[in-house]
Amino acid sequence: MTSALAAAQAPVEPFLTLTDVRKTYPGVVALQGFSMNVRPGEVLGLVGENGAGKSTLMKILGGVVEPDAGTITVDGVEHRALSVASSMSAGIAFVHQELNLFDNLDVAANIFIGREPRTGGFLRLVDTQKQREMTAPLLARLGAGFKPSTPLADLSLAQRQMVEIAKALSMNARLVILDEPTSSLPLSETAKLLDVIAALKADGIAVILISHRLHEIEEAADRVIVLRDGTRVGTLEKGEIDHDRMVKLMIGRDLKAQTAAPAQARGPVAFRATGVRTSTYPDKAVDLDLHKGEILGVAGLVGSGRTELARAMFGVDPVLGGTFEVEGAPYAPRQASQAVARGVFLVPEDRKAAGLLLDLQISQNISLPDLPRHSHNFIVVKRKEHATAEAQRRNLDIRAPAVTTLAGTLSGGNQQKVVLGKWLAMKPRIMIFDEPTRGIDVGTKSEIYRLMRRLADDGVAVMMISSDMEEVIGVSDRIAVMHEGSISGILGRDQFSEENIMRLAIGKTLTQGEAE
Amino acid sequence: MKRYLVAGLSAVTVLAGASAVSAADKPQLAFVVNIAADFWKAAEAGTKKAQAELPNYELLFKYPDQSTVAIQNQIMDDLVTGGVKAIMVSPIDPNAVDALNKIASETALFTMDSDASKSKRIAYVGSSNEALGEQAGQIAKEAMPNGGKCMGFVGHLDAANFTERRDGFNKGVAGTNIVLVDTRSDGGDQTAAKKNVEDVLVANPDITCMVGFYSYSTPAIYQALSNAGKLKQITVIAFDDDPITLGGVKEGSVAGTVVQQPYQWAYQGFKLMAKYVEGDKSGIPADGVIIIPGKILHAADIDGYVADLKAMQGK
Amino acid sequence: MTKKDLGLLVLIIVVGAIVALINPRFLLPINLANTANLVGMFGLSALGQAFVIVTGGIELSVGSVIALTGVLFVDLVANQDVAWPIAVLLMLVLGAVIGLAHGLLITKLKMQPFVVTLCGLLIYRGFARFYTGDSTAGFGFGQSFPTLEFLAAGRSFGVPNSFIALIIIGAIMWVVMHRSIFGRHLYAVGKNEEAARYSGIKTDAVIIAAYVICQVLTVVASIYFAMYTRSIAPSAHGNFYELYAIAAAVLGGFSLRGGEGSIVGALLGVVLLQELQNLVNLLGIPSSLNFAVMGSVILIGVLADQQFSSYRQRAAAAKGRAPAAAEQPAAG
Repeated sequence: MTSALAAAQAPVEPFLTLTDVRKTYPGVVALQGFSMNVRPGEVLGLVGENGAGKSTLMKILGGVVEPDAGTITVDGVEHRALSVASSMSAGIAFVHQELNLFDNLDVAANIFIGREPRTGGFLRLVDTQKQREMTAPLLARLGAGFKPSTPLADLSLAQRQMVEIAKALSMNARLVILDEPTSSLPLSETAKLLDVIAALKADGIAVILISHRLHEIEEAADRVIVLRDGTRVGTLEKGEIDHDRMVKLMIGRDLKAQTAAPAQARGPVAFRATGVRTSTYPDKAVDLDLHKGEILGVAGLVGSGRTELARAMFGVDPVLGGTFEVEGAPYAPRQASQAVARGVFLVPEDRKAAGLLLDLQISQNISLPDLPRHSHNFIVVKRKEHATAEAQRRNLDIRAPAVTTLAGTLSGGNQQKVVLGKWLAMKPRIMIFDEPTRGIDVGTKSEIYRLMRRLADDGVAVMMISSDMEEVIGVSDRIAVMHEGSISGILGRDQFSEENIMRLAIGKTLTQGEAE
Repeated sequence: MKRYLVAGLSAVTVLAGASAVSAADKPQLAFVVNIAADFWKAAEAGTKKAQAELPNYELLFKYPDQSTVAIQNQIMDDLVTGGVKAIMVSPIDPNAVDALNKIASETALFTMDSDASKSKRIAYVGSSNEALGEQAGQIAKEAMPNGGKCMGFVGHLDAANFTERRDGFNKGVAGTNIVLVDTRSDGGDQTAAKKNVEDVLVANPDITCMVGFYSYSTPAIYQALSNAGKLKQITVIAFDDDPITLGGVKEGSVAGTVVQQPYQWAYQGFKLMAKYVEGDKSGIPADGVIIIPGKILHAADIDGYVADLKAMQGK
Repeated sequence: MTKKDLGLLVLIIVVGAIVALINPRFLLPINLANTANLVGMFGLSALGQAFVIVTGGIELSVGSVIALTGVLFVDLVANQDVAWPIAVLLMLVLGAVIGLAHGLLITKLKMQPFVVTLCGLLIYRGFARFYTGDSTAGFGFGQSFPTLEFLAAGRSFGVPNSFIALIIIGAIMWVVMHRSIFGRHLYAVGKNEEAARYSGIKTDAVIIAAYVICQVLTVVASIYFAMYTRSIAPSAHGNFYELYAIAAAVLGGFSLRGGEGSIVGALLGVVLLQELQNLVNLLGIPSSLNFAVMGSVILIGVLADQQFSSYRQRAAAAKGRAPAAAEQPAAG
């Protein structure tokens, strides 16, 4: 195996070496004397909490930020700093979480956008044929199962990432940096991406993999560098890479009982869905009970109708049939305001688009659903807003200079806390979380888990949609698994296992033991 | 019988290779104006009178949706397609000779209101703006024997009817101490028209006379002077017959107004067209210009004029 | 007052000072009053436009609504002998109905504001012209309505009553937009409609209300315009007034993307535009250049504002902002 060769005594020169790189922003040291290297054909895992310095590091490699000190050696050439152009020409390619692709073009056109082969003389038409011929070998290298002529709109998220990677290959990338590539991928697709990483590696391309999903790092990385507070706090070689060790290095302490959920007695039914049908699967009905004091995990593949169910419960998606009840009383929200009035709150999947207003202050975000309580004669009273926001800031430990800070300047985890604070300030009865910890660092994740538990203990009915197996298993009291628009099974604690969830998620039944 | 005749006529036109056949029973004559404005109400009345005297024709009266050359040409193209026998138009741009010639090659084209003498139009019916301007200069001379400094107000400075009226006015006051210092335009916006007058009152205190070149200009002058308490201190010279203008003339705060006779344009125009279509070309003078002169109205003339106007409009 | 507003105010004062130096008659009370009168009328329509723009929408039918309600109002009062307060009320109701219709089409039938209001621009203009048979609607010579004329075109202590109306309505609208619950909802919807909906805001109702407010204020302006010109040619009256309102709002810091802007800024924008119109006449600049002057100043004003704020941002970035901000984009 190439990686084994590369790792053994390393006769291979590193493709990229950073030596004593420093970058300070006033008041903050983003990187302090950071050194690392990555060799061709090596998969380097890079982990750290938000604010550990990963972004700054990426910006330096991309040529966007100039380091204060240190050197960057690429392919044997030493640089003081990279420019965007020199980074690209050196063969450093980024695949970001948010993909820069065009839905309305085919795969080949996406790969060669802005660099299209030309034909037709002075007319300079796009040579579509040649473009596709040039794309085919790139896709073959990655083992992609789609064609150059496939419209991008037909591809899954993982396949789109492959297109991005193929684009990097087309530019002769020598180092591919994958930034949170799996955070929005469903379970079944994550495996595909790991195959692609293996393919890159086999081609002798260096890979830096940044992820919060530590078990993927465990699986894919040859070596892991852990960053904390701008310094390298540890390097784990292939054999030493394991989840707990990484977490310990990342947060500088043991993360105890992160996912320990006490099996406790459930309360009465708080929310009931009977025969509910939503727009994605108009023929399938959902029946589900949600009890006071429990955390009900909802697992399933992306597109299985989980998000639509949550949105219907919150009144933002239409309900095509069936009924809801809240604490025994009929409940038919036609808009979110009606859900809010009944104490049914949603922490949505897409934090930046739907969860909060990035251009508003923390306090304005928190008071938004409940302005009448923060006003006098229809005039908003800042003092009341600030009081509520301060209370939630303390309650949730939102790390921000002040409650007047704009929400958009916060880290992902703190933004999520603001979304939570907005609802906690209003006495929730039913809290629905949709992918609550996506893109959030490990430390904040466990805070959110603890908070969910606290809510459940206070008698709130909590429903948590998640594609993260560890999370579903670790946090839930019961797990409902959805498959193509209906509940394919409900697991009690004693039945929790990745295998059981997976089987139900792909529509099979449990072999041993029965679903509840 | 008549129907058969018309049908036969249509058949002949088809044989003659005309591109389209009129669905109407009677041959059509059209009067195409340049803008939707009150001014043309009298012409509509003239059309009614002509229609009564020309029962064998269908007389059409067309307003453009907007005062643009393109829209006016489109109206004329549509009329031609519909098989119209003759068109009399107030060309928005008399210099757009090619477009007019195209229409003239397809049907009998007459102009009115403003002439396009370089085009192949058969004849022009209407006033001469220059003559009207001269008549306005006449009013000014009588009202200000000792001379005066005048400011003009108009919608569009580049409009031919304005430049001709201005030239005529200058001719009319030539040799006196009356000068037209400048003219302010408002682009057709009445709010701007009134503000222009207010601004002139502030900026040019030496102005002793104001000339409203368009029909809405004088009402704007009247309102602004009235608000400023300067009626009768400044001599106002008007064109056209807006009710406020006529009221001002009668009251004595407007020295006089020059009115055109669109009623006569339409009435005489349709009769001319009908004759021409029937083959009688005796009504066409050698230079093709048939001037229907304007009228000067002083205070004493107003009541009679208003009564005539009402009668013409059948009110 | 934001920094943006302050900048605009300085610009107004500087331009005014230059004009006054060249032609001291600029400062005559009568000139200031005349200009204030126009500021009052155009300001009312700009206020309305501001409410729509802050939601990220646009209202293009303003000029046509001014023509339609103008001819209807004048006809009702001058020819149909309807008592003027009733005519005013009827017009306000008509405005509210038009706004409601626009709002419903935009929210419930998901049509684009530009399309809905562009069609409105054509439709109401057509109705206005059809209603009068393309003739001018005007008060007869010597027809007089003392109370209405005093309220609409009169002056109190030398100040035009239209300007006083603008100050009063403007103050109320300032509170509504910048201090009230509804105002907060407006901004939230303008910034991010989706997130606003997920916060339990009735976003459709907010947007509809914005269009209703816009049209009601437009009708108020329309009555002032009608009483100013006293005669209304339905084909020309109010043409382009929506663009003056939009220009004033943009000049005053409203973003056409929504969620940004201040009432004070929009009103200062109106003042600047009217000052420019006045300047053209007072300095004897050919009135043909009117639009060119207006367009250039708006362009330069908005450009300068953008350059200045991006300069400020760069300066702030160079000095370093919160560490969270520096670390934020890649969510690393």
